Amino acid sequence: MSALYAARNLVRRHGERVALRLAGFEVARGEAVAVTGANGAGKSTLLRLLAFLDEPDEGTIEFFGEAALEPRRQATLLLQEPYLFKRTVFENVAFGLRARGQTRELAAKVADALGVVGLEPKAFAPRQWFELSGGETKRVALAARLALTPLALLLDEPTANLDAASAEAVRLAVQVAKERGAAVIAASHDRDWLGGLFDREIVLG
Amino acid sequence: MNYLADGFVQAFALLAAVDPETFAAVWASLKTTALALAAAAALGIPAGFALGYGRFPGRRALRLISDTLLAFPTVLIGLLVYAFVSRRGPLGEWGLLFTIAGMAVGSAILAMPIAVSLTAQAVESLDPRVRDTALTLGARGFKVALTCLAETRYQVMLAMVSAFGRVITEVGIAMMLGGNIKWETRTITTAIALETGKGDFARGIALGFVLLAIAFAVNAMLVTLRRRAAR
Repeated sequence: MSALYAARNLVRRHGERVALRLAGFEVARGEAVAVTGANGAGKSTLLRLLAFLDEPDEGTIEFFGEAALEPRRQATLLLQEPYLFKRTVFENVAFGLRARGQTRELAAKVADALGVVGLEPKAFAPRQWFELSGGETKRVALAARLALTPLALLLDEPTANLDAASAEAVRLAVQVAKERGAAVIAASHDRDWLGGLFDREIVLG
Repeated sequence: MNYLADGFVQAFALLAAVDPETFAAVWASLKTTALALAAAAALGIPAGFALGYGRFPGRRALRLISDTLLAFPTVLIGLLVYAFVSRRGPLGEWGLLFTIAGMAVGSAILAMPIAVSLTAQAVESLDPRVRDTALTLGARGFKVALTCLAETRYQVMLAMVSAFGRVITEVGIAMMLGGNIKWETRTITTAIALETGKGDFARGIALGFVLLAIAFAVNAMLVTLRRRAAR
């Protein structure tokens, strides 16, 4: 498998404090990698770097995606506590597609993404952001990322505060993302959830 | 005390009969406020957003000035605008003095710092995940900024409702720039001041009721918007 990410000598600081120090690693296209480590080891910091939301203070991250597209449009991050825009579920899931100008068959793409995370499209698409439970919010946020068919799906504690059913729905959705060719990189403390889904582990700290 | 009780009775009679003079003042107040708010929103919301969202030299100083202008005395605004629009003033040719448009200019200056400061405050206190989410879903510069503004829409509406309440209840600007001309620029507040001076409490009380009803509606809107903003 060809490499998607190649990171070298990464250092990221928050003020004086070193939030992340990592010698280097590679992630191949379609690979599923778990990022583990104690609280404060830098898991979220690493995912933000891989999502191109922040830049490393030292070191490099190379991304071997589609040359014609900027990397930030090929890698997407599900935050530990995802934010939904003050809009309907449909508009939240459609947001990234609209941002890319991919509005052809928008309704079908949104319905597919909602279906993948186990939410019935007809029932959920018209709902407002405040009409969702915590688990449903996370699944809608995941659907918004899956709709983009990213090359890299980055997940920060995807099962935190989820009940067993929602955690299982997220697991199945990640499985689908893998089958559709996404590299999945997830930071999690939930070893049971990680087991069987991920090819290998990057241990921080 | 009889004159006060009589005043209340007559006030209800004026309102019930849709007294033209009373409602001319209400109409003048609403027109002035609508024009002032349109101008304050068109200029103040983008300026407030730029102050809250942007990072540029002098931003803090501008924020401080805008916050200070929140306490701008209305008679001082009246005085300054009067100096500009009076016949001898630099904008004298425009004929704004003693017109609804002239009052709206002064009221817009009163509303502007409210629109700017409260919009800037709303954007500054925006959840940082909004920007992260827009970025990670692939939005770029202008789209990210628009998304952030859209997420603060209830707070921005709150700012404009607050500005509405401030503008419609002020008296100094309306008196100085409107001149309290019957059927033309006599607003709710200047009419109350005049009628009270003349001892005609009935019309004063009737207009007071209208003002209170408007204040009630404004506050009801504020409560609803605050609840929505907190979701």
